[in-house]
Amino acid sequence: MSSRRSQNSADLQFNDNWERLAQAIREIHKKNASILSFEELYRNAYNMVLHKNGDKLYNGVRGVITQHLEEVAQAQVVPAFPLSGASSSQTNPNGAGGANFLKVLKNVWEDHTTCMLMIRDILMYMDRVYAKTANVPLVYDLGLELFRDTIVRSQKHPIQNHLLDVLLQQIKLERENEIIDRSSVKASMDMLLELTDASTKDTVYATDFEGRFLETSSEYYRVEGQMLVGECDAPEYMKKVEKRLIEEEQRVRHYLSPSTEPKIRSIVEEELISKHLKTVIEMENSGLIPMLRNEKMDDLGRMYKLFGRVLKGHEEMKSAISVHIRELGKAINETVSSNISSESSGGSGDKQTGASVAIKWVQEVLDLKDKFDKVQNLALSNDKAFQTSFNEAFEHFINKNSKSPEFISLFIDDNLKKGLKGKTEEEVDSVLDKTITLFRFIGEKDVFERYYKQHLAKRLLLGRSVSDDAERGMIGKLKVECGYQFTTKLEGMFNDMRISADTMADFKDFLDKSVLEKPKMDLGVTVLTSTFWPMNLSASPRCNFPAEITKACETFQRFYLGRHSGRRLTWQSNMGTADIRGSFKSRKHDLNVSTYQMVILLMFNDLPEGESLSYEQIKGESDIPESDLKRNLQSLACARYKILVKEPKGKDINHGDVFYFNNEFTAPYQRIKIPTVASKVETEGERKETREKVEEARKHQTEAAIVRIMKDRKTMEHNNLIAEVTKQLQPRFVPIPALIKKRIEALIEREYLERAPDR
Amino acid sequence: MSQNKSHSSTEYVKLTSSDGFEFYIERNAALISGTIKNMLSSPVHFRDITAVILEKVCQYLYYKSRYTASQTDIPAFPIEPNLALELLMVADFLDC
Repeated sequence: MSSRRSQNSADLQFNDNWERLAQAIREIHKKNASILSFEELYRNAYNMVLHKNGDKLYNGVRGVITQHLEEVAQAQVVPAFPLSGASSSQTNPNGAGGANFLKVLKNVWEDHTTCMLMIRDILMYMDRVYAKTANVPLVYDLGLELFRDTIVRSQKHPIQNHLLDVLLQQIKLERENEIIDRSSVKASMDMLLELTDASTKDTVYATDFEGRFLETSSEYYRVEGQMLVGECDAPEYMKKVEKRLIEEEQRVRHYLSPSTEPKIRSIVEEELISKHLKTVIEMENSGLIPMLRNEKMDDLGRMYKLFGRVLKGHEEMKSAISVHIRELGKAINETVSSNISSESSGGSGDKQTGASVAIKWVQEVLDLKDKFDKVQNLALSNDKAFQTSFNEAFEHFINKNSKSPEFISLFIDDNLKKGLKGKTEEEVDSVLDKTITLFRFIGEKDVFERYYKQHLAKRLLLGRSVSDDAERGMIGKLKVECGYQFTTKLEGMFNDMRISADTMADFKDFLDKSVLEKPKMDLGVTVLTSTFWPMNLSASPRCNFPAEITKACETFQRFYLGRHSGRRLTWQSNMGTADIRGSFKSRKHDLNVSTYQMVILLMFNDLPEGESLSYEQIKGESDIPESDLKRNLQSLACARYKILVKEPKGKDINHGDVFYFNNEFTAPYQRIKIPTVASKVETEGERKETREKVEEARKHQTEAAIVRIMKDRKTMEHNNLIAEVTKQLQPRFVPIPALIKKRIEALIEREYLERAPDR
Repeated sequence: MSQNKSHSSTEYVKLTSSDGFEFYIERNAALISGTIKNMLSSPVHFRDITAVILEKVCQYLYYKSRYTASQTDIPAFPIEPNLALELLMVADFLDC
């Protein structure tokens, strides 16, 4: 390289070189780049930068480009304005002018970028050496800035307004199902995305376009939402909303920036979903409740998906469904209680009705549960939160019915009792599985346990249960739900049954071998452990047995006590059954009756034909408790098989009634089972009694829990103790704090606990 | 280093020095220079670079393409002192 040249000649050299370069750039703008020699231009620029004329070169390039762009704006962009010079809001109705404008702009933009790429190549040395050190934008970026300022945000021409209006109008047209030229819209968006705003460093897209786009979208959907809510029913509304969401998502994907996606989505969600949540849910004849009623799973699923997009959506749905469940539950409860009250007022007619009401109740609740399980499964994609709120609703109305523990136990009883319903074991099993889910909802599990024990005892003792396996299966299920403690007594009952069977076998052997006089009849005894079974020992019903029976009982008693010393046997005469043979005029029948009925019938044995016994006589002689006596006489004299004839006739047994043996009795079968008092809903009195027993048991359990906790903790604050006790007892029943308080006081009184001295 | 005509295949490109010497080098090596890369659309004729320097440049381009990202030891690239200054200028010009 030659050494330094004089300043003057260097300037001359520069001007000459620059003139050629500027001319070349103009040629490039005219798309005549092919005539240029790259090497020469590059060398020119190189020399200029090398001779410290970088800034002149840079500014010169800026000038040439600016001038070109201004010409372009004037000559190409402005004539393409949708409506020449008109105010920005009016545009061609069909958008054709707009589309054309976008096309022009797209061409201008593409030309500009192509030119800038070429210019960049020529001025590479300037970029590399001058732009870096002088801290100015690279020439390509300079080109973008110039484009932004002279075209997109031109001060001279309202290009910006037109551009934004046209874009928004195109989008609006597309929303209204017109076909638009997506590619030219996309080109404009890309252009806006490529340009950066000088002050915010954000894209021009974000600063100029996005805000207005979101604003107009928001307005658009606000109007549409209000209109649709007025016009459509709920499923249709949701379909439209779903379609809108998909459309907007696709729009973003096709020609907007991905960063806009969450924003526009939230706008549509806000305007079309959030604002109309309640309205849609509560739409008459098509809202959430009618959907549930008609099991419109698709619509429900759609609602679930759509409403899940917004904050409060599922919340609203959940509470609406929950209220609905509670209402349905209340209706079920009400039909039941009205049935019961109408029955009790109608007298103690058919005893089956009581049980059937209970069974109907459980069945209806189960059906309801099934239905909502199905909804949960098919429409709500097994959402746990919904499940919980459904469960709460079920729990609420099931516990609203104070008889629910009894009803559920009766339902189980009904299913385990008779295999004659034509149900297979699997069917029964699945029904019981479902019942367990209802059991879960019961707050007062101890009440249920009591009823279950009663019903189970009856099934076992009267040999009514369908199969041992089924019974054990049910107990297994309860065990899984409530733990070992809950079922020990129930299992004890089974044990007693088994041991008793063995004992009876031994007793037979004993009788065979013994020299004693054998009783005149077979005796079957089931020895029950008193704590396991729900019978009341102290109030064991009195009953005078006929002589033969008393004797047989005594024989067994001797046999049993001989084997197990120190035990006490109490006869539960209200639980037994007897097979007796009765001779009637036409034929003989084998009668399967309860112990009491047997006692009553045997009285008529000694009676001459045609004689009668009065109610008082029977009562006096047998000493059977009044309510039992009435019930048993009722089933002998007033039910399907009239072994006795009562006078005066009527459904109820009253004092002063007189009974005859019905010699005329006929029946198609040899063997007749006189229906014993079927398990049924308790009367008010019995219920009160059960309540009292339960209350009593609760007192003990509460005290036990308190003592257990205090043994462990030694000292504890009152409130904490109450909380802890409540927690411990929760699985069985929900104790009220007042009860716990009382128990604590009672324990203090009995000196199990004492108040801490320091407070 | 001489093939007869400018039909540079895709693999080879022709570089012409100011004094008329033609150098055919692999396209990949030539692309190392940003300037050459931009020039390739038309025949490459350097008005300011002599054959002596251009030969050295070509050697360097091969040297660079051979040892870029190489795991082995990189031998020194020999530069004759009398060429050093001019070579430096050209390297700046060629962006390599």
